Amino acid sequence: MKMICAGLALAIMAFAADQATIDRGHKEEQRTCLPCHSLRLIHSQRLSRAAWTKELDKMAGWGTKYQDRDALLEYLVATYGDDKPAIPAGLSLNGK
Amino acid sequence: MVTCEAMRTNRRELFAAALGIAAAAQSRGADDPVAIPGKRPLILHNDRPEDLETPVNLLQSYLTPVDSFFVRQHLLRPSPIEPEAHRITVNGMVGKPGQLSLADLRKLPQFTVPATLECTGNGRGFYSPKVPGIQWGRGAVGNAEWRGPRLGDVLKLVGADPKAAFVEFDGADAGLMSTPDFVRSMPMKKAMHPATLLALTMNGESPQIHGFPVRLIVPGWDGTSWVKWVTRISAAPEEGKGFFMNPGYRYPKYALPPGTPARPAELEVIEGMPVKSTITAPEDQSKAPAGAVAIRGFAWAGEQAVERVEVSTDGGSKWRDAELVSPKLPFAWRQFRLDWKPPEPGFYTILSRATDTAGRVQPFVPAWNPSGYLWNGIDRVGVTVEKTA
Repeated sequence: MKMICAGLALAIMAFAADQATIDRGHKEEQRTCLPCHSLRLIHSQRLSRAAWTKELDKMAGWGTKYQDRDALLEYLVATYGDDKPAIPAGLSLNGK
Repeated sequence: MVTCEAMRTNRRELFAAALGIAAAAQSRGADDPVAIPGKRPLILHNDRPEDLETPVNLLQSYLTPVDSFFVRQHLLRPSPIEPEAHRITVNGMVGKPGQLSLADLRKLPQFTVPATLECTGNGRGFYSPKVPGIQWGRGAVGNAEWRGPRLGDVLKLVGADPKAAFVEFDGADAGLMSTPDFVRSMPMKKAMHPATLLALTMNGESPQIHGFPVRLIVPGWDGTSWVKWVTRISAAPEEGKGFFMNPGYRYPKYALPPGTPARPAELEVIEGMPVKSTITAPEDQSKAPAGAVAIRGFAWAGEQAVERVEVSTDGGSKWRDAELVSPKLPFAWRQFRLDWKPPEPGFYTILSRATDTAGRVQPFVPAWNPSGYLWNGIDRVGVTVEKTA
């Protein structure tokens, strides 16, 4: 049983990005995305790895200079992947 | 944007301002709610730039108040514009190129057009599989009275060449870094349509967030065509080639299997909008007391008028006509109503289905497309009718 658990843990580690990479990706998001737009735009979406890759390509074309692109992709897939439940957008505060 | 130098300065300033805002944004939670000046609480998809959706229970009046009207920005909003200093450059295939002021536009005959403005991606969130882009639900739509001179009169004033097949529009917004500028073009035929305006007001107001002092009004066409803060009008022999014309805002000529990539050669510019209806009451997943339930909503059909709205209270088994309570006009929505007496308590699925004057009917299953445009599926709300105490 212990052997199976250890094997399973190894398998999961092999497929899922490690926390350190995700943390680096989070920093990269702050550094490269936030200058041009707020992050709700990202956090409201649930996309596949292929679709996030395409978005990163698009933003590179629009002038984004990544320092840690691979980590950013892992962070997006791990946090806002298409297997994650969507959270409905909330209301703004009263601006009147 | 008028000159390259002005554009560069503008972009530098925008970028510097954006970095300042970004630094401020980092100090609080990225997804904490914020207030958008002039707007009551709306569904906040993004705040910089502003992308706000109206909860449909606020869409109960024929004209949507400015404080509840949805907002879609592609790029950061330009700095505040002094209306009297604002100029529109007119060039390309015109006899009298130059600049127009608001005073010039006010001298032309003024027209009022009620028209429904809908984001091209309204309903994107309902497509499966999901597609990238703002996950709009049902409320990226509103109806207003737009007032200003006809674009056709402006084109005549500057002597537009009848051989110019397209007219291109730029607004005061500019992309950061190498983000493409938001430039759109449309066929001369639509530009010369008597309902196509350069609006100076919306419901009597001139809110900057909605593109004033001058906004292009293209009744019956998707919101993307309605360029905000118009700064340039060019008559041209060909359709514009910018990002927001191609590949942006295109729709497959032939329907694709859901989830498959676009075929770039088979994408077409979107012109006009489909027939559609939205239920504003009862609210989805709400409870209703036994007795009478007021079913309310609106329907619209691009360049057509709405002919009929049917409602089902049993998930689509039986349908009956709702009463249409506002004028039958092209471009503007029609409100519908049906007072329904539920036969017994329990959960009901209420549906609405519109038909327009061209005979188009809302489908059960809108065609999936890679950018999630033009959702117009039969609308649906669920309501639980409670037992009488």
